[in-house]
Amino acid sequence: MSDLWRRCLERLEGELSAEDVHTWLMPLQPREDPTGLFLYAPNPYSLDTVREQYLVKIQSIVEHLTGRALPVRLEVGSSGGRPAPMRPASATHASTPASPRAPEAAPEPPHVHNLDPHYTFETFVEGKSNQLGKAAAMQVAMNPGRAYNPLLLYGGTGLGKTHLMHAAGNLLMQNNPGAKVLYLRSEQFVSGMVKALQQKNMDDFKRRFRSVDALLIDDIQFFAGKDTTQEEFFHTFNALFEAKQQIILTCDRYPKELDKLEPRLKSRLGWGLSVAIEPPDFETRAAILLSKAADKGMEVSEDVAMLLARRIRSNVRDLEGALNTLAARANFYRKPITTDFAEETLRDLLNTHAQAVTVPNIQKTVADYYQVRLSDLLSKRRVRSLARPRQVAMALSKELTEHSLPEIGEAFGGRDHTTVLHACRTIRGFCEKDVRMRQDWEQLIRILTG
Amino acid sequence: MTPQLPLALRWPRRQRFEHFHPGDNAVAVEAVRAAAVDPSAPWVFLAGPLGSGRTHLLIAACQAAIDAGRTAQYLPLAGLRGSRAVAIRGMAGSDVLAIDDIDSIAGEDDAEHALFDTFNRYRADGCTLLFSATGAPVSLDIALPDLRSRLGSLTQAVLKPLADAERRGVLREQAAARGIELDDVVLDWLFAHHARDLGTLLDLLDTLDRASLAAQRRVTVPFLRNLLKDD
Repeated sequence: MSDLWRRCLERLEGELSAEDVHTWLMPLQPREDPTGLFLYAPNPYSLDTVREQYLVKIQSIVEHLTGRALPVRLEVGSSGGRPAPMRPASATHASTPASPRAPEAAPEPPHVHNLDPHYTFETFVEGKSNQLGKAAAMQVAMNPGRAYNPLLLYGGTGLGKTHLMHAAGNLLMQNNPGAKVLYLRSEQFVSGMVKALQQKNMDDFKRRFRSVDALLIDDIQFFAGKDTTQEEFFHTFNALFEAKQQIILTCDRYPKELDKLEPRLKSRLGWGLSVAIEPPDFETRAAILLSKAADKGMEVSEDVAMLLARRIRSNVRDLEGALNTLAARANFYRKPITTDFAEETLRDLLNTHAQAVTVPNIQKTVADYYQVRLSDLLSKRRVRSLARPRQVAMALSKELTEHSLPEIGEAFGGRDHTTVLHACRTIRGFCEKDVRMRQDWEQLIRILTG
Repeated sequence: MTPQLPLALRWPRRQRFEHFHPGDNAVAVEAVRAAAVDPSAPWVFLAGPLGSGRTHLLIAACQAAIDAGRTAQYLPLAGLRGSRAVAIRGMAGSDVLAIDDIDSIAGEDDAEHALFDTFNRYRADGCTLLFSATGAPVSLDIALPDLRSRLGSLTQAVLKPLADAERRGVLREQAAARGIELDDVVLDWLFAHHARDLGTLLDLLDTLDRASLAAQRRVTVPFLRNLLKDD
């Protein structure tokens, strides 16, 4: 580091808070030459703040230290012209533009696919909740543009939609090495378009997207309310569809339920196949944990995996967080991960998950969901409009809490444990036969555990 | 006679890892340190009440990252002026970004979305993000489920505040570094009448440092009482 800047920083550290120093001044990279002191800011936002709030002070300290009016110049970039950090698997990834890095990465040219090579079908843990999605994604990868177009995977956050999408892209490229596949998060599509509009090169933008063999866009729910984006996406969609180029999309819900999405776009999305990815069941959660643990080189027994899978139901990311937390502690203490060790380590974490779901909480959520009064739900009345939600609430209490059948019966206005058992069986039967019921059930679980 | 004004110089609060008193938080400290210096180490979500040392650890992480040849930037969301969504989106280009007090943007649609995009971008670029909040991700009122679940996937480091005896030790040590002597009577009074969290107590030490210098007198309970009354 430039000696002048180091001494300047020492002075500033004495005058400013550590927070300000580390937010604005430490990130600056200095370069000193006879014509002045150059300070490179990591981004335009920092540059503006430094210029407005600190430049005068820096100049006066520099003048004081050198005894002359040495110019101080601010620029965005890095002092050594150091390239931006590479992604971990740089060979197959897009590299980000070299410094100065733009604050928002523009969509890369189509030959850069953005696929993560770690996301393959082999590393995807299959269960009842996602087997349909997996089968469809494989079909599409093997018959791009012909099997299902578009393929739309929808479901809550952290359930593996992105994994399947990358896996399809990776398999497609493996089978057709020359194929141009492009994966983008929806926000990259939006910001790429905004940039193209600003720079008046929409033609390039259109060409870039329409020349690919497969376009994969993640989280299209974020297109909602962005009319110009939807318009452009609509045309891109049509062009790709007509040329039999594959489109794969993900969304956090069934697109027809998305507000602020143009009807004509909604209808296009329904042309191909839409598959729900549901929260994994207990066995799948345990299998996912074991697979992730193996991936991280951790030794985790089935008992530990089952302990975590029983307590954490919300989504795969929370399972991963639990595993990461466990790894940090096991590495630090150099201890094997036993169930006791897992219990102890994750007490805080598991408590937050367990606490969230209580029987009163379930009763209230179910009452809200079916728009019935809580007092009616707990009453003795047996009309159908109350009986069904009551059974759902009982079955959820069995599924999501550690309470026994008699305890649950007690909490529902002093009912017998056989009534609760009957409710659990009835609802399970309904879920298998009735799509609507299964959606309600999954949705309630998401609300309660999300 | 007007009191002599001390120079506008402060004793820089030393917030490196070696100045952090881990107490029961050694695992958390190690997880943050690893993430700061090693691009392949898992990202960390620090949860802890006020005064548990979250800011200290994040600033220490930035310093350690710079020492390891990475670039780093610290982003305190709670104290930020202007649009926080703009600030979050603006914070690109560093190898390590340490984001403090993310509970302060919970429920703020634009800022949550900006944080979600930043999360994805840093992930794709192989850079490191560190987060801190008063509680675990599920306990914050974050409205965007995609953001909440991503935060939940990180190594969760829960910080427990130091015990009273440890806090006394830290205060005494920090005071000694400034040439101030704090005896037990003064410490008892401070804990009973002022605040117990270390952040507030260390801030007070800064004030005390300048005031006792200006008044050129020893720190006693009456002196403290007088000083805090003026505040």
